[in-house]
Amino acid sequence: MTWSLVLLVSTPVVAGFVSLLVGQRRAIEVLQCVQAGAMLVAAALVAERVVATGGVSAGNFLVSDSLSAWLDLIVGVVGSTGTLFAVGYMGEELDRAHVSLRRYSQFFCLFDLYLAAMLLAINIENIAIMWIAIEGSTLSAALLIGFDRSKAALEAGWKYVILSSVGIALALFGTILIYYSSEHVLGVSSEALRWSQLYQTAERLNPTAIKIAFIFALIGYGTKAGIAPMHTWLPDAHAEAPTPVSAMLSANMLTLAVYAILRFKAVTDRSVGSEFTGKLIIGLALLSLAVSATFFLVQRDYKRLFAYSSIEHIGIALLGFGIGGLGIFAGAWHLMNHALAKSMAFYGAGLVFLRHNHRLLDRVTGLLGRMPVAGIAILVAGVALAGMPPFGLFTSEVLIVAGAYTARPEVAYVFLALLALAFATLLFQVLRMALGAPGEAGTAVGGQCRVFTSTAVGINIVALGMIGLQVPSGLGTLLASIVKMFNLGIEAP
Amino acid sequence: MPLFSPHIGSQIVDLGSALLLLTCFAIVAQRRLSACVDLFALQSVFLALTASLVAFLTGIHHIYIAAALTIIIKVVVIPRILKNVIERLNVSRELMMNVNVPTGLLICGALVILAFFITQPIIPLGFLLTRDSLAIALAIVLIGFFTMIARKKAVTQVIGFLVMENGLFLGATAAAYGMPLIVELGVFFDVLVGALIVGIYSHRLQDAFDSVDTSKLTTLRE
Repeated sequence: MTWSLVLLVSTPVVAGFVSLLVGQRRAIEVLQCVQAGAMLVAAALVAERVVATGGVSAGNFLVSDSLSAWLDLIVGVVGSTGTLFAVGYMGEELDRAHVSLRRYSQFFCLFDLYLAAMLLAINIENIAIMWIAIEGSTLSAALLIGFDRSKAALEAGWKYVILSSVGIALALFGTILIYYSSEHVLGVSSEALRWSQLYQTAERLNPTAIKIAFIFALIGYGTKAGIAPMHTWLPDAHAEAPTPVSAMLSANMLTLAVYAILRFKAVTDRSVGSEFTGKLIIGLALLSLAVSATFFLVQRDYKRLFAYSSIEHIGIALLGFGIGGLGIFAGAWHLMNHALAKSMAFYGAGLVFLRHNHRLLDRVTGLLGRMPVAGIAILVAGVALAGMPPFGLFTSEVLIVAGAYTARPEVAYVFLALLALAFATLLFQVLRMALGAPGEAGTAVGGQCRVFTSTAVGINIVALGMIGLQVPSGLGTLLASIVKMFNLGIEAP
Repeated sequence: MPLFSPHIGSQIVDLGSALLLLTCFAIVAQRRLSACVDLFALQSVFLALTASLVAFLTGIHHIYIAAALTIIIKVVVIPRILKNVIERLNVSRELMMNVNVPTGLLICGALVILAFFITQPIIPLGFLLTRDSLAIALAIVLIGFFTMIARKKAVTQVIGFLVMENGLFLGATAAAYGMPLIVELGVFFDVLVGALIVGIYSHRLQDAFDSVDTSKLTTLRE
């Protein structure tokens, strides 16, 4: 069933260009709804197929193994609710004449191309074409972040373009070094750039070259993943971008960058053992946690608050991968739950922004009574992101602590201390927003916007709740084979 | 009998790489923006020549295509875009820098040593013809990176990025006799689109801030 893979990658490309060409509001809305549905179905089909057979491929070009399928599910589900939310959000902006119809169709073209580039990067087996696709997502995101054309948005967009470009250039150097060492084993051909070939021959690759390549890839893709100390673009970009874009940046793009790091880690681990990559990743992950936890309390802007929370959670997921063993399972689980919870937090934040037209946290308290959908979204997402049960983030954080205790106890102590700090400060801010004394009234959003955004929030809540209490068996199979990919010779839990 | 012995071929490739490195230093020392763009174009010419030489000596034909694309995109198209930006924005000189020129040149010298130090263990892996170029390629990447940090004008930051890109291309050609063609086409496409986007951004920055001095971008501070 290779068509599901082709469908998944091509739907947003087609929908994006057709949206730009038709330039009619109703047509674009219908098209985007179709895209949301198609992406959801295609992602589920790809995942189902990978669970059943271990891998899907369309020609030699698009290949999806368990790690790709895991990312397909994340980007597919969140991308689909994100599209619905964007239809509601941008429709409201259009109704209020904040954007013209032309800009409206441009937005959806860029938004869809952005999703398409990410899906291509995930489902490609060639390490260099993955780089090209990730660069494509960077470029489309750059235009989306500066979409408002306000001073602050342009500044955030510029910062993002420059930092990401540097990051991605360093990642390309890492890619070239991989090719440099692999072509001696595999010959001068595209074969020397395929993940599966690299995994098989990793033991024969030059270890020093692979180590240097990994450092370049970690710094390069780490810039895109928003790991401290390369995170400085992240809060600005998340705050200034139109909110549907903030949600996609946080839930999808950061996850994609982690995915790229994981691919390099898998090759490097096979070549020089997991000690080397583990140490580097754990160090950067703890630094990210420390940076984000300390910045929660001083945030006055609710979108920046959630942006810092993204730095924290990407750090936690990477910590899991760095520890290895049980941590691999926890890291992958963490990525999915974070994507669902964080996109929902931004959906709530977007509704609040539409109502108040500012991002000051102090003035948007007591949301639950005044704006039930936004209030519930922010409250549930906030509780989940703080790491409280019954959500999956609780499970993964506990597993990471457990994994760290057995492997490196000193990491567990630092991790727990930072986690406690982040828990308290984030929860304080979120509870203030959701439950505090009612703030100002603002202007209510239109009926159509309410329908679309509520649907998006609804799907996310259901998905988050469904996987919160237990791991569904299909996902369990995928996770088990991801764990096997990183823990060589160790059976999955 | 081949036109050059491998030894002489390798010397000429080294010479080309060294010329690329030399233009890097010239860019760091140059304050006039349009001259920086010209130097970047010159560097790209050297890059295309070095790549063609590698293609000629090794008989790998797709490197010629990459070299031709370098001429079209990096020598003709991108410099025109940048000159256009400079003219429209009416910025000609960079008077304030984060790091002054002599210090900058010293730092670049240190970066070259660092690049040789990092690549030392893996140089013997490479092909005889081009293996010394890998260290130079890394040095160019690092100097491009440094230029982006040291300069304040949007245009010079872009040139820094493009210099990094040239270093990467030299690295790919030197280390691996070029990446597979589809990869190189994709990279060129991304660079071109990236330059266009940066052009769009600097226009808008000019409109919004009346300046392309990125040190004036200080609204977003923690």
